[in-house]
Amino acid sequence: PTVGVVICFTMLLVLSEEHKEHLRFLTSVELDVVKEFCRISLEFIRKGSNPRVYQTAAQKLGVDAGTVCHGVEGLMYLLTECSKLMVNELDFQDSIMVLGFSEDLKKELLAIYLENCNEIRTILSHMSMDLPHYQDLEWRLDVELASRALQRQVNPLVLLRFQIKDGESTSSELLQTDPVNLRHLTSTLEDALAEIKSQHCRRIMRNIK
Amino acid sequence: MELSASVLKGLQVAGSSAVGDGAFSKLASRVLQATLGLGDASSVQGDPALSKVDSGMLKEAYAALMTFVAEAARTDTDETGVSTVLEDCKFSPDRIETLSTLYMEHKAKVRAVLGRVLTAHPHIVDVDWRLDYYLKNNHLDRVNQPVYLIDLKTEQGDKGNRIVQFACSHEQLEDLVTKLKDACKSLEKFGQK
Repeated sequence: PTVGVVICFTMLLVLSEEHKEHLRFLTSVELDVVKEFCRISLEFIRKGSNPRVYQTAAQKLGVDAGTVCHGVEGLMYLLTECSKLMVNELDFQDSIMVLGFSEDLKKELLAIYLENCNEIRTILSHMSMDLPHYQDLEWRLDVELASRALQRQVNPLVLLRFQIKDGESTSSELLQTDPVNLRHLTSTLEDALAEIKSQHCRRIMRNIK
Repeated sequence: MELSASVLKGLQVAGSSAVGDGAFSKLASRVLQATLGLGDASSVQGDPALSKVDSGMLKEAYAALMTFVAEAARTDTDETGVSTVLEDCKFSPDRIETLSTLYMEHKAKVRAVLGRVLTAHPHIVDVDWRLDYYLKNNHLDRVNQPVYLIDLKTEQGDKGNRIVQFACSHEQLEDLVTKLKDACKSLEKFGQK
């Protein structure tokens, strides 16, 4: 009998002193202001940062733009790191406990995190390195009748157009094959598909979460 | 089948007494080997069975026979067609028999060689695959997804061999296999007609 290995992750986000300092600013403002900061952070995560926003907010609050900037960036880092590590609810709450936020503020942050974590992960995945991958296949059956080198043929030919996506660009590969190789290709890839349901693969996938 | 005057002349040389009977048989079989891309053309002149033939005539006969065989295969000429041409070139019945038997024996293979002269697109001859479990990257932890890497091995006549490689997820591979199975089914229906 094989020994199963279960690898479980409990991730606590450890915040640096500097980071904690930046976020501490949030305890000194109204909940509505924090909500606004969260909204700004999410916008920046989606579209990139805009320094002018810091100026406007700083003026309205009567604080220094640098403080606003740090607050927003602190929030951005908190949200992206927790999304990256897929920190669960409990661990998120434990991680922010050290910041001394009010109950309301903690609830608010948790809600925002849970609501947006999937979207943030999607954004992060677009930044991730990817291999050129299969997008689509078009096929066509032709019968080759003649060529300059050979007349009077009845040669079935399968044309295959693979669409392959690499980052932003999609390229087309136009290939051909004959009936024998088509069947070989199909059955080999069917075997490959079946492999994922094998006991070995299932065990690995089940145990690494 | 159309043959140029110089080829016809070369055939006449091949059928004449300048090439002895024994030499003719050897020559004929070497020609067939050569059209299949086997054997060493440069060693023809050194072949002891062909030593009695004048070297100029040997070259002429060899070239003419090769062109004849290739052209006959190209146009899908049958035994009768081949014999007619050889008769016109004054071949003896024995020599006609020898050459046309060799031709019919190897015709399909010669046609296969000719068919490979032009491949319009890279031709898939084999496939390799590998299944990985994608754990994480520097932007994202806990990706935890199976990823297939597929290598399509292709050949393209003179342009050589090339590997087309791509990755796919489980769903994408399912999509690919479904479409390939559709193509196979279509082929079967065509085969039945």
